[in-house]
Amino acid sequence: MLIFKMKKMKKLYIKISMIIISLTAFTACSDDFVNVDSNDVTSEDFFNSEEDYQNALIGAYDLLQSTWINAMLGEIASDNTLAGGESATDVIGIQEIDDMIHTPVNNDLRGIWGLMFAGINRTNFILEFQDKIDFSGKNQIIAQARFLRAYYYFELVKWFGDVPLAIDKQILFGEESSYERSPASEVYSLIEQDLMFASDNLPSVQTEAGRVTKGAAQALLGKAYLYQDKFSEAAQVLEALIQSGTYSLVTDYNTIFEEDGENNVESVFEIQYTDVEGAGFGCLQCSEGNVAVGFSGIRNYEGPDFTSGFSFNVPVQEAYDAFDNDDPRRDIAILDINAWAASTGATFGTGNEHTGYFNRKYIPRTRSSNALPDLNLTNPNNYRAIRYADVLLMAAEANNRGGLNESKAQEYLNQVRRRAFGDELHDVTASGSSLTNAIYLERRLELVGEGHRFFDLVRTGKAAQEINGFQEGKHELFPIPAIEIQLAGNVWAQNPGY
Amino acid sequence: MRKLIILISFTFITNLGFAQNINVKGVVTDAVTGETLPGVNVIVKNSQKGDITDFDGNYKISAVPKGSILVFSYLGYQTKEVVVDKETISTSLEESSETLDEIVVIGYGTQRKKEVTGAVSVVGSETIENLKPTRIEQALQGQVAGVNITASSGAPGAASNIRIRGISTNGNNNPLILVDGNVIEDLSVVNPSDIESINVLKDATAGIYGVRGANGVILITTKSGRKDTDFKVVLNYYTGFQQTTRKIPLLNATEYALLANEAFAANAETIPFPNVGSLGEGTDWQDEVFKNALVRSMDFTINKGTEKSSYSLGASHLDQYGIVGAGKSNFKRTTLKFNFSTEILKNLKLTTSSIFTNTKRKSLSENALGSVLFNALNMPATTTVKDDLGAYSLAPTTGVGIEVINPIAQTENTFNEAIVDKFSGGYGLNYKITDHLSVESRFQFNYAAVNSKYYAPEVYYGGGKVFNSVNNLAALTDDVNSSTVGESKQEFKDYTFDSFIKYERIFNDIHDVKALFGMSVFRSQGVNLRNELGIGANGTSFSEYSVASSDSSQDNLALANRSRRFFDSRLLSYFSRLQYSYEGKYLLSAVIRRDGSSNFGPQNKFGFFPTGSVGWIASDESFLEDSSTINFLKFRASYGIIGNDRIASFRYLSLVNGEGVYVFNNQLSFGQALGSIANPEIRWEKQKPFDVGVDIGLFDKVDITVDYFNKKTEDLLVQPEVSGILGATAPGSGGPLVNAGTVENEGIEFSINYKETIGEDFKFNLNYNFTTLKNEVLYVGSDTGILQGGSFGVGQDPPSRMEAGFPIGYFYGLQTNGIFQNQAEVDAHATQANANPGDIRFVDQNEDGLINGDDRINIGDPIPSITMGLNLSFDYKSFDFNMYAFASIGNEIVRNYERNQPLTNRSVYFLDRWTGEGTSTTFPRVTTGSTSNTLFSDFYVEDGSFARLQNIQLGYTFSDDSLMGTGIDKLRFYLSASNLVTLTKYKGFDPTTSNGAPIGGGIDQGFYPSPKTFLIGFNVNF
Repeated sequence: MLIFKMKKMKKLYIKISMIIISLTAFTACSDDFVNVDSNDVTSEDFFNSEEDYQNALIGAYDLLQSTWINAMLGEIASDNTLAGGESATDVIGIQEIDDMIHTPVNNDLRGIWGLMFAGINRTNFILEFQDKIDFSGKNQIIAQARFLRAYYYFELVKWFGDVPLAIDKQILFGEESSYERSPASEVYSLIEQDLMFASDNLPSVQTEAGRVTKGAAQALLGKAYLYQDKFSEAAQVLEALIQSGTYSLVTDYNTIFEEDGENNVESVFEIQYTDVEGAGFGCLQCSEGNVAVGFSGIRNYEGPDFTSGFSFNVPVQEAYDAFDNDDPRRDIAILDINAWAASTGATFGTGNEHTGYFNRKYIPRTRSSNALPDLNLTNPNNYRAIRYADVLLMAAEANNRGGLNESKAQEYLNQVRRRAFGDELHDVTASGSSLTNAIYLERRLELVGEGHRFFDLVRTGKAAQEINGFQEGKHELFPIPAIEIQLAGNVWAQNPGY
Repeated sequence: MRKLIILISFTFITNLGFAQNINVKGVVTDAVTGETLPGVNVIVKNSQKGDITDFDGNYKISAVPKGSILVFSYLGYQTKEVVVDKETISTSLEESSETLDEIVVIGYGTQRKKEVTGAVSVVGSETIENLKPTRIEQALQGQVAGVNITASSGAPGAASNIRIRGISTNGNNNPLILVDGNVIEDLSVVNPSDIESINVLKDATAGIYGVRGANGVILITTKSGRKDTDFKVVLNYYTGFQQTTRKIPLLNATEYALLANEAFAANAETIPFPNVGSLGEGTDWQDEVFKNALVRSMDFTINKGTEKSSYSLGASHLDQYGIVGAGKSNFKRTTLKFNFSTEILKNLKLTTSSIFTNTKRKSLSENALGSVLFNALNMPATTTVKDDLGAYSLAPTTGVGIEVINPIAQTENTFNEAIVDKFSGGYGLNYKITDHLSVESRFQFNYAAVNSKYYAPEVYYGGGKVFNSVNNLAALTDDVNSSTVGESKQEFKDYTFDSFIKYERIFNDIHDVKALFGMSVFRSQGVNLRNELGIGANGTSFSEYSVASSDSSQDNLALANRSRRFFDSRLLSYFSRLQYSYEGKYLLSAVIRRDGSSNFGPQNKFGFFPTGSVGWIASDESFLEDSSTINFLKFRASYGIIGNDRIASFRYLSLVNGEGVYVFNNQLSFGQALGSIANPEIRWEKQKPFDVGVDIGLFDKVDITVDYFNKKTEDLLVQPEVSGILGATAPGSGGPLVNAGTVENEGIEFSINYKETIGEDFKFNLNYNFTTLKNEVLYVGSDTGILQGGSFGVGQDPPSRMEAGFPIGYFYGLQTNGIFQNQAEVDAHATQANANPGDIRFVDQNEDGLINGDDRINIGDPIPSITMGLNLSFDYKSFDFNMYAFASIGNEIVRNYERNQPLTNRSVYFLDRWTGEGTSTTFPRVTTGSTSNTLFSDFYVEDGSFARLQNIQLGYTFSDDSLMGTGIDKLRFYLSASNLVTLTKYKGFDPTTSNGAPIGGGIDQGFYPSPKTFLIGFNVNF
């Protein structure tokens, strides 16, 4: 009887516990269960340590590598090179810019627009939170960020003119239509302020190669002044840079663009690339390699010293002929492929608009064993954005055109020529407008293939006479991509003529 | 008074005569196995009296009026009626082959097919066994109306795309798949022989799964044992070989050279092959690349049941080699399954299921520019596989593009392996509190470790090729080792916890009420455990290469500076279902579910999903009850709101998970940056599926089901183009996901099943089904109203679009209008770049005198308008024959496997090219000069309609007499062929080609074709 009762109790006990278990199962979870925190930090919770600022700064530098297209198109749009490529339809955007028939529908212009603003947003991400915490050395980080912002805005104002200004705050989703096109003068104003802060707060020499220096800020500031024809300001800041003695011309022009010559004493600002990270066409802006180098390479090349590329950006005969026959820079800057093949037995193919020349400064060299595929996209050649030679020529131009100091202008010009020829027999003694033209020519010869020619022609009013198809009053600026105007609320006017 | 007495005595006598009451008892057994059946309902018709058989199959009912009818009914068996005329009435019940008595799994429970009010289809284990799929999805193809399966590739182990009633979203269209209640994403881990049934919820019935139901739900149950059964063993084995279903006819070396010469001459260039006569046939690259490949599979299952428990133990092994690349693409799978259920107490049942799977997969590059088959089609026929020195020939440096390389060399140089070790478990307790009230709790989990390794040797395929890892041939033999090894490991784990209460009761014999209330918790995570690169790999075989033994190594996860957990999703749900039937004739089902997901923005974390369905079994009405023609007629309709939650995690937050990498001091420096732009209002995609259907049974032999469906999916997640000033093109960044799109799928499903038995020896079964589908995008909320996708050619605009008024993923290109026959025709036409006689003439749609991108229109889409399936099976004496065929009509495919370079090989259709005025009006001339002929147009869009004989099988079962004394219950041998015949106009490898992308699908870049398989095998039952 007792056992029977116990059995019954046991059954009742189990019954009750089952009901309790099932009921608790229902109430076990509260709605908070679905609130999951991401392992990654949100933008609001970032910038809590110096490391956060340093990491964000690296992120801001990253977009410099995407300016390969700016440099390449700066040559193709000018009278220096032709588009080239595999065929007349290989990258239509580039082909059209070459022929001055580009329209507001152009993928490459859209790329430049988007990537430069991406860089600006990354710098503004740091600058928006610059007062969140304090630590020693913060000013140097801010200074580098402001230089980068100035660099990206300088590209935008060169290419598109009036552009939206975002100062110390990111442009957030939903705010696009509240930004107007600020006049170029205001953009330049910001550039000047940023670069002045940068040059005041950066050291003359950085331990890490690739970081912005005081000299880089001064050089870019001088360039920004020169582009606005502010000759005395330009001359002043460039003089300070020259007098600092931090930079000088290397003796052998042929070493400048080789790997051994990276970050040398002539390099005022150099955009860094490497080949140890793989890359693909799916995200060209993600590549750590210099994509322009692969694009400009010799098609189907087999032979010493160089490796293949896609044969874009091919120099024209007229650019080659602009050099004197005894100018050593000519064959260092421009590769005469037929002569080279004849002397070395190398073989090569021909692409669209084959001229027989290649942009030797920036074509692929023999690759290292560390290079990862796609080899065409991972060339490690750094881009010498501002060389001391350029600084000298800018100073010469400012002094000459501003009527400030003709002898200084001549001296700086001749320093460049003496380095080029290795003697003083090729000095220029002209002055006034003849000196101006000599400086303009020297800029073309010294800096051929480096992406400056188009903008030099535009700012000096020479574009219409030198570039086929260039229409004055229209082609000085590139059109803002039509879709970008549409996506920002259709409030912007297009650049004239498009 | 006298009348009264007579009346009373009359009734008395009558009662004496007819009201003899008997105490009836008996045993109920299974007609086939002879085993006793517990739990059978024995009811006296039209009364409240009844009993349920006990564990020994015994029942007894007292005081049953003689002559009344006993109704024996048991789920899964044919109901039997017996007249009460003696005390002992024992009977045997036959398993029901009636589809009406079939059990259908509907989510947190089952239902008899007769009572289902939604559109639910079932595929049984017999069909699955006949089809012998290597992957389960293949068993659904052509079996279920409304379900379209396309293989994403014919490669061993490749996933299939399952689309239930059209394409509902531009995102992830995969349906929710549950195996025994456990969420499974990758079906390659399940052994098809383990499956008991596949149930597909196609309409609002999927609403029981709320925010996960919009793409449909597939419920798979695996075989479990039954109580009180003897030890039973089932052994299956098959082996055979596979070959390609098709080789594309290409030009041989002589034809290739002649055409190349013609192309060069047309552009005034020196001809490349001055001496054509000596070239002969040349290399047939497809022959070199396609090889017959072995497939074999074996599995066994052991079942046993005791009085309280049942066990099922199964194991399987599958080896499938690839028809392309032999050992370089293959798939091996080993599974081990153990199901166990027992009655802990009389009312407390424990069910457990444990499955362990190990899969190993090797794969080749496929369906892309430069993939193995792409290269086999484009490599010149004049190049030999190996050169005179015995090394693999290099691809020509010029004239074939930088992606086309020697496909045999490419295959030889491919080394990779992905190993998945997965453990899935499910443990449930069911407690019957009272006869009507039960409670059930289940805990399921999955744990998978995915280990991948690849080895990239030093390779040089020719000048400037994108795949080269060194720059010249000499570098292959120098001292520098630039080979690399990559090793990665990822972990996926998830768990589901369900708990629900059921109340089931029949009131007054008329009101059948089933109520369900429950909750469910689901959490899923993916973690990157390891991603390392070894540079300078050392070793002599694939197994020896490793990151550890390489010259140097790089830890990608440490460098990336981002979280290793790449997704973490949680779902919290409460649901309730009420099923009501009145007299078994009028049926109603109502479901409401509240889901909360961690993927949605803070404003939209929770949603309510109500669905309902009704049904009317007209055949039970008096006017149809006795009809001999119509033995079953049911009308049903369903509607509701369900959702799709397959979106990425954390898209409502602005996270610092972008990519910020620069170089300082020649070293990579890893920084941080913002990732994709956030949208805090992100929510699920909402679907409103409407279905109305009728199920008809005729002559007890024919079953017909017809459904009309209309599903509108709103709030589709689109990533619209956003203004460039937001910086979304930065590395690792992207635009926000916005709920701004609507797509509608509408169609009719028809299915007819005819079963017939002629005489004693001949049985046959015919099933035919078709589905019509009309897909239309109703709204795209981006500024341009268009989303683009897919790729065509090199450097061309994307060919596929999503745009209001068109099917999703339609092809957008130029329309052709014949060939220019002479210069006059060229001059008379709108300006077309590089146009010459012999070139394609495009239609100037906007009549602006210029042929450019503005003249593009809708030139086709990859969605079929009609799909159909036909199954035929005969049983004659000991022979059985099965045939399954499938057809798809109205889908178009983009031919994108031609590189179109001066020296690439071409297909034989080029022999019909234009060579002079009047020679062709459809095929343009060949030339190496620039033309517009390679721009995307309907010249590259082909009709992909096809009919395919999926499976044909002949089997022979040994008679019981011949097996006496061997201990074998059943022995069957069979021969089977899959994909034997494909009828299609499509010129590519396989008309089922599609990567399954909603925008960008249906484009063929050298699709790995489905193999034709010949098998021989046997089944043994002990």
